[in-house]
Amino acid sequence: MRTLLAFLIPLTAQIVAAQSFEKDVQPIFKTKCIACHGEVPQGKLDLRTPDAVLKGGAAGAVIVPGNSAKSLLLDKIVTRQMPPGKNKLSDAEIDVIRHWVDTGIQAPAVILPEVPKEREVLAVLQVRCMVCHGGLKQQGGLDLRTMASRLKGGKSGPALVPGKPEASLMYSRVANGTMPPAAMAKDLAVELPTDAETELIKKWIAAGAPGPEPDAKPAPMVSESDRKFWSFQPPVRPAVPAVKNAALVQNPIDAFLLQKLEAKNLTYSKEASRLALLRRVTLDLTGMTPTPAEIEAFQKDTAPGAYERLVDRLLASPKYGERWGQHWLDLAGYADSEGFGQDDSVRPFAWRYRDYVIRSLNADKPYDKFITEQIAGDELSNDWKQLKSTAPPEVIDRLAATGFLRETPDQTNSNERALIAERMNVVADEVEVLASSTMGLTMGCARCHNHKYDPIPQRDYYSLSAILQAAYNPYEWKAPRDREYKLALESERKAVEENNAPLQAEIKKLQAQLDAIAETFRKPEDKGNTKDLQKKYPALATKTKQLDTDIQNLRNKLKPAPHVRILTDNEVPSVSYLLKRGDPVSFGEPVQPNVPAVLQNAALKPYDPKPPFAGASGRRLALAQWMTQPNHPLTARVAVNQIWSRHFGRGIVASVSNFGRSGVPPSHPELLDWLATEFVQQGWSMKQLHRMIVTSQAYRQSSQVTPELLAADPDNVLLSRMNLRRMDGETLYDSLLNVTGRLDTKMFGEPAPVDVRPDKEVVVKASGTGFRRAIYVLHRRQTPVSLLDAFDQPAMTPNCTERRRSNVATQALHLMNGSMSWDLSRFMAGRIIDEAGPDPVKQINAVYLRAYGRNPSAGEVKTGQEAIAEFAKQWPARLAADNSDAPRTTNAAWLALANYCHAILNSAEFAFID
Amino acid sequence: MSNPTRRNFFSSVVDGIHGAALASILGSEMFAPGLFAAELAAEEPPKGPQIFDLKPKQPQFPAKAKSVIHLFMNGGPSQVDLFDPKPALKRLAGTAPSRELAFAISNGKESGTLLPSVFEFKPRGKSGMEISSALPHLAECADDISLIRSMYGEHANHEPALFLMHTGRTIASRPSLGSWVTYGLGTENQNLPAYVVLDDPKGLPINGISNWQSAWLPPLYQGTRFRTEGPPVLNLNPRPEVPAKLVEAERALLAKLDEAHRKQRAYQPELDARISSYELAARMQLSASDALDVNKESEATREAYGLNDPATASYAKRCLMARRLVERGVRFVQLYIEDQIFDNHGDLESGLKYACGKTDKPVAALLKDLKQRGLLDSTLVVWGGEFGRLPMSQGGGKPGRDHGPNGFSVWMAGGGVKRGYVHGATDDIGFKAAENKVSVHDFHATILHLLGLHYRELFFDRNGLRERLTDQFPARVVSEVLT
Repeated sequence: MRTLLAFLIPLTAQIVAAQSFEKDVQPIFKTKCIACHGEVPQGKLDLRTPDAVLKGGAAGAVIVPGNSAKSLLLDKIVTRQMPPGKNKLSDAEIDVIRHWVDTGIQAPAVILPEVPKEREVLAVLQVRCMVCHGGLKQQGGLDLRTMASRLKGGKSGPALVPGKPEASLMYSRVANGTMPPAAMAKDLAVELPTDAETELIKKWIAAGAPGPEPDAKPAPMVSESDRKFWSFQPPVRPAVPAVKNAALVQNPIDAFLLQKLEAKNLTYSKEASRLALLRRVTLDLTGMTPTPAEIEAFQKDTAPGAYERLVDRLLASPKYGERWGQHWLDLAGYADSEGFGQDDSVRPFAWRYRDYVIRSLNADKPYDKFITEQIAGDELSNDWKQLKSTAPPEVIDRLAATGFLRETPDQTNSNERALIAERMNVVADEVEVLASSTMGLTMGCARCHNHKYDPIPQRDYYSLSAILQAAYNPYEWKAPRDREYKLALESERKAVEENNAPLQAEIKKLQAQLDAIAETFRKPEDKGNTKDLQKKYPALATKTKQLDTDIQNLRNKLKPAPHVRILTDNEVPSVSYLLKRGDPVSFGEPVQPNVPAVLQNAALKPYDPKPPFAGASGRRLALAQWMTQPNHPLTARVAVNQIWSRHFGRGIVASVSNFGRSGVPPSHPELLDWLATEFVQQGWSMKQLHRMIVTSQAYRQSSQVTPELLAADPDNVLLSRMNLRRMDGETLYDSLLNVTGRLDTKMFGEPAPVDVRPDKEVVVKASGTGFRRAIYVLHRRQTPVSLLDAFDQPAMTPNCTERRRSNVATQALHLMNGSMSWDLSRFMAGRIIDEAGPDPVKQINAVYLRAYGRNPSAGEVKTGQEAIAEFAKQWPARLAADNSDAPRTTNAAWLALANYCHAILNSAEFAFID
Repeated sequence: MSNPTRRNFFSSVVDGIHGAALASILGSEMFAPGLFAAELAAEEPPKGPQIFDLKPKQPQFPAKAKSVIHLFMNGGPSQVDLFDPKPALKRLAGTAPSRELAFAISNGKESGTLLPSVFEFKPRGKSGMEISSALPHLAECADDISLIRSMYGEHANHEPALFLMHTGRTIASRPSLGSWVTYGLGTENQNLPAYVVLDDPKGLPINGISNWQSAWLPPLYQGTRFRTEGPPVLNLNPRPEVPAKLVEAERALLAKLDEAHRKQRAYQPELDARISSYELAARMQLSASDALDVNKESEATREAYGLNDPATASYAKRCLMARRLVERGVRFVQLYIEDQIFDNHGDLESGLKYACGKTDKPVAALLKDLKQRGLLDSTLVVWGGEFGRLPMSQGGGKPGRDHGPNGFSVWMAGGGVKRGYVHGATDDIGFKAAENKVSVHDFHATILHLLGLHYRELFFDRNGLRERLTDQFPARVVSEVLT
């Protein structure tokens, strides 16, 4: 009650000369604002008198005297949110008000609530002190987390003497400026407490340091009507509708789609040609063009069910996991480097997560298990905590799975970039990754204010954030280097030992020689080690220069100890707060870990975290268990929609990461719910879902567009045809390698390195047998492979829920003039000659089969023949000028074919999927 | 996609997301149970897929400037040594800083005492604007610029501060100013990129390519790096080992193949865009080479920029290229300078002399050249770094200064900007902005305003949120610097 009273004390504005309220400001308010903010004030805001303006409204204070930039009133009028309607304030009027706020009205004395609450003090201590005096470290024996530990204090005595601020070290040391120590502030990534914060601690102690209040039951902020929105209700399995043209129904997907088409007197387009379909589904499921052998096998299989057998074969291929793994890595925001800045250091074992994803998909791991391991693999069992250095593959995999929430940029390895704001940014990015990829929610807006379109109060954002804050504790932060868990496979450890042991022996030997030389320089007064001696005696340093270099060279060859990048909890989580305006030091109420209120309903078991074992909070495990309930409103819907969108180029909900009110409503809500429930019934099998989608008649349609279709279904929302699409960057890159025979099929492990050329083009380094698939290329944020970058490979900021497809000139330049496409073309020409012999007709046939997955028409053969003949005329002169020793005619034929292949690889038909 | 056969665009992105048009944002952020439902009643139906392109767009209101040259001064130029005279520092020289000031230094052990400038300030031109002796050439242009002495940032480290200056937030992952401008206005010359970055051949600035990223804006709004040595764009020229006639013949074959392919697939704008992009690539080879060929300039011009002096040659070349690019209708040109040349932690005097020695003459020449050609009226030139420096010394020996984000100077010149005008002030020692403070959001809002764009109205619908360069921060157009 006392707190409340403090705010009711009338605030008296003291008007100074600069700008007068009556003369300058009131007339503007009268014409533009008083209608709503007058006698019957909207939002409890009355703008008739200076005192009333100072008092503010339901949203709190609207002006901060002397600081217009921080005044809500100015924010509202400057951003033209207020007044509503056309009668906005002019810039000049805004300036008058701004000037008045800045200079015309004096701040009343700061009135703090008379007795600050313990939670307010705790917040200050958490952000300013606990890096040294918290759960991870207790410098000087001091732990500031609880009342008891504050009273107990540390080596210098009690930190807290209730009623006596000056005798309480937790106040006096802050007040006199010794704590936090300025000289160490940057090393500890701590910032100076503000005067208000220091004053808060003082007042609290002076008032007798009252202890924490019992947790209040949070007020309901989301109503039943908010929960009624379709995507917040569990999916209900609809009946499969009957359609007129039942012959077109391969499975229920077609029934749902045809129902809507037939309602508009439309139907499917005719089926795509067999070979077009082969190319489409092969690219779609494996990310690569079909090989001539695959084409031949498919053409020979004329028995019924050939297409279904093909689909089974493709889903069983290990390439499936590499293709769909990339889709998932997009959602996770996978990268092999820590940040964006200068020091974009490589994350040495990040690839374990990539491998986990590929392996899981190939094994058709049920989706519920898949996301549970990624959200809380570390909490499923504590077996890994018993292990010292080596672990079996399944344990490594389960820990590596938590890499899902370790992918966003995290520059906090540098203390200078590990301030509270940057730490909170890491947490916020992870919340965004989690919510956008698995829940289809845009939580980001609620970081700073209640969500404007969805019933997600800011409190719910911080409750979700609190789930992650047990592991990403912003107040007792662990930098990425402190999150490397030293476990590895026996074989990896052995390999490192075998590499390092002889090197270390050699280093030891050289070091002994070095020390011996150094000792000859030592005088009785010298106490230091060899390094100190080298510093003191330049002659020694000169003499041992070679030895130093040799030792350093040996050290550089040492392999780092293998480890797993994991996410796991701090022993005891700190208290999480709602952060006003998203500002990491503007603390609101404390929040409990929880899932958004709008998704809590009677049909679902509540979110209920329990420690699965000591040292784990169970917050993330409870989240995963809550999310993977069969009737969860979002999990299955979001997953099937993501997969659908990658097959068709558009989701049933077109805004794949926004199932909220501001998202796009589903084009086929019944189909979405049928698929979601079917997905769960099929044991969350992703391969089953793919199979159903790609064997539907919808998927088998031609992509031809006619004027009639365009008029009736302009954006193909009804799927009256297949969408024609350009390959994404990785598919194009992998297919170039596949078609030209330069693909190195090695799976898993350390990524293929990249090279930055003098002209700054970033290229992939070839392995002994060619180039690995794009998913295995080092994905360092600062050095994206130029070719992939040009083709819209995402920059992971922090993740990518939907690829964009641009068609820009730089792409053409890369493919036309880049060295890679020309080198590959020559390689391809050589292979074609080996296979097809010298006959251009056979060569052209082979080129078409590889690149386009079809045979050329007679006209196309003729065009090709003429082109190759034309190209062949130009080469002999060039070869002669180069004094090439090679047989010129043969060489000219080869290079002419290379030109032809180069044109084919540059053609639209190669890059587009019918 | 109302006109499915159109092929007159240069390049485009088909965007999967579908700007959901949103209910207008009104009223208080407080809400009562159930309020969402009411608030959302007025929601408009979602739009179909959008097509993004670089065709020139009308500004939202008449623009004062058509194009921007952003001279980014990496490292944090020292305001009290270049633009912001502080006689009080002479008086206080050698005294200890306040605790707040001492806390501002990154390494507490290096905290020194208040340090006056070794450079001399003098009133310049008719305006009497005070500029230090470190910038003798710019001093001649004092009557052409608007100097803002009251900028303030949010972070004392390079990375976040660069992000803030480029994208409006201290975090990675948001679109840069140049991306926003080209998203809003497109570009006048379809044979050149809309947003060109001229980085120093000696190396990328801090944050590297993220400085000109489009983030979640469509990728065609990302800055294109033009190299200032050798071919300006990666793979701009055909492979030398392939005879030129063959390059032509191959292109002819490609055109034939593509045309046949396209004929069988009507109404596919993405396919059309792809084919157009190949045509543009061929045109760009000519136009980019021409635009960047500074040898086509007169000897007098080359001399004026400092191309003949090894100290200034590199930056002079980029300044001259920038002029040739805006002359050809490029919307946004951004220049960088080697390393963090203005990051003078130690030996401030020689460090600043080096940095200014490289840039001062070319920058002044650029201003004079633009003015003389009548281009200054339609071009906005912006000069500044990511922050300023502290008024106290850092380190022993020849002292330097540490980063100071709380108050620093930037200037702008050109279309719509007052000439010979000084805005705002820092405190007596130049530590913090004190009068008429200008935030980075204000600064961005002002740049957009000069280009005819309102910072609140230039938005991009992303996952149901209206994203802006100034995000949700309060911003204000610095109307005082406008003509």
